[in-house]
Amino acid sequence: MSENSEIFQRMIHRKGVWAELRAANALAIKQWKVELSYPLSVLWFILMPFLWFIPMLFAGSAVAGGAQSEAFFDLAGTTDWISYVAIGMAFSGLTMSLFWGTGLALRREQNVGTLETLMTTPVSRSTLVWGSMLHNLQHGGLGVIMQLVVSTLLFGVTLNAWGILPALLVIALAIIGFQGVVLTLVCIVLIAKQGWMIVEFVSSSLMLVAPISYPIIVLPSVLQSLSVASPLTWSVDLFRSFLMYGFNAPGVSFALVMLVVLDVIYFTFGLLLFRATEAYVRKKGALSQF
Amino acid sequence: MTETQITEFKPRFMDWTAARVFAMKNLKIAMRYPANLLIWGIFPILWLTPYILMMYAIGGGSSSINFTELSGFNDFITFALIAWFVYQYVDASIWSIGNNFRWEQFSGTLEPLFVTPVPRISILLGAAFSDTLQTTISAFVMLGISTTLFGVSYSLTMIGPILLFLITMVFALYGLGFMVAGLILVFKDPSVLTQFIDNMIFVISPINYPLKVLPTSVRYASYIIPSTFAIIVIRQLAINGTIDIFLYLIYYIGLLLVLAFFWVVGIACFRYAERWTKQRGHMGGF
Repeated sequence: MSENSEIFQRMIHRKGVWAELRAANALAIKQWKVELSYPLSVLWFILMPFLWFIPMLFAGSAVAGGAQSEAFFDLAGTTDWISYVAIGMAFSGLTMSLFWGTGLALRREQNVGTLETLMTTPVSRSTLVWGSMLHNLQHGGLGVIMQLVVSTLLFGVTLNAWGILPALLVIALAIIGFQGVVLTLVCIVLIAKQGWMIVEFVSSSLMLVAPISYPIIVLPSVLQSLSVASPLTWSVDLFRSFLMYGFNAPGVSFALVMLVVLDVIYFTFGLLLFRATEAYVRKKGALSQF
Repeated sequence: MTETQITEFKPRFMDWTAARVFAMKNLKIAMRYPANLLIWGIFPILWLTPYILMMYAIGGGSSSINFTELSGFNDFITFALIAWFVYQYVDASIWSIGNNFRWEQFSGTLEPLFVTPVPRISILLGAAFSDTLQTTISAFVMLGISTTLFGVSYSLTMIGPILLFLITMVFALYGLGFMVAGLILVFKDPSVLTQFIDNMIFVISPINYPLKVLPTSVRYASYIIPSTFAIIVIRQLAINGTIDIFLYLIYYIGLLLVLAFFWVVGIACFRYAERWTKQRGHMGGF
């Protein structure tokens, strides 16, 4: 491509949020194309949310003996443990998709030999992560919809239709905080290379201390303190509260404030760390090392 | 190697020396990363704890009337932990033995390995031996930490019968590993296939819940998995310290039948996959 060509000039002078959004969208589409070219991946994508939820359902049924539990009411404020767990698990599917898909996105590019090429394009470095995030949001979002629809139809999960819009707002807010976590994971992967163990450890730990399938009151006090400092805790709590009780869900104002505060802290930390790590990796010339 | 050795070479069904050498090679590599043994003992705790906490929240304690009626055990934490211990071997058979040739492919040693005059099953069996040893260490790390964390204990009075079941189950799982190895030779990308098989087996296994919770047809399918008989019997022996001898023998015969089934089907499946892959020249492809 000649430096005087129109395409080159347009490419090199591209700037602004719109240009970055288009780049992120192109990355998301590219990832869909890759995934859809593997039939087994498509099958896994459809079945995965249920294969994670169904053992929880069996385990809960073995203990409760039905769809209601009085003991659960004392801890979680509802006897309907199936809806509680189903909504929590649906949200955890989205979280896993964001953490794993985005956390290892740059590593995948590195494995197929396209990371350096991508890094030399006139696209903001963080857009590479945002593009993957966008894809995984769509991927995980579809999983959430499928799981909630099937749970409603087959397992008697009840959802409050008025809570759908605020639940979407919660997802939007959650993404900001998760982006901070994901950027940190990306930094670890860029430096440690084989970072899947770190991603597994961080995601499993965050899931453990989040109220996905149980209220955090059952956790030891040390883990409860950690739980309060995690954006996943407030996100999943708000998401479920809105979907179960609609607009009038109890305790949502405080949870919203906490989520916004944690979003700011996590996102700022993640972004600063990512910039520093990217500069460090480039300086060391370790971008394409395995 | 002399010309006579080559011309007089006759392929064997099993080469135990090759299996031993391959096991030693894999163990040498594993010993370079000792932290992995600890990590694979800790990860399962992160995965099993949510089940226990959820059941605790629903039951309002570590037991419930319904659970006792269904399972015959009072405490679901004790019930689940020992099953997670046994399940580590299932995980290993799928992820390690099944994926062994894939790792060789990534290392660039698969094709040289396949031109050696050694039965492929010997290579897989060698990998299986080394994986069993590593899994045993990780599984005991897991059991040790989790029993301490959750404050539960098991009876060791029936350690002999437990070991007999565990060893027989491990051999039966080798057959499952051969089958998965064949599938991976054909499908290449193991991540999705392996996760799918692993999750399906997890769902229908009596790990966190008794078999009675499953629909009847699924319950029958569960008995085809080598670990099902083992989990039921080992749990009974480890928690109660006793089992009806007649029931023990029936389950053991059942496990032997499953072992025979998986070895026959597993080896046939692997050989067919190997031939299929070679005919298409896909052996080294990704």
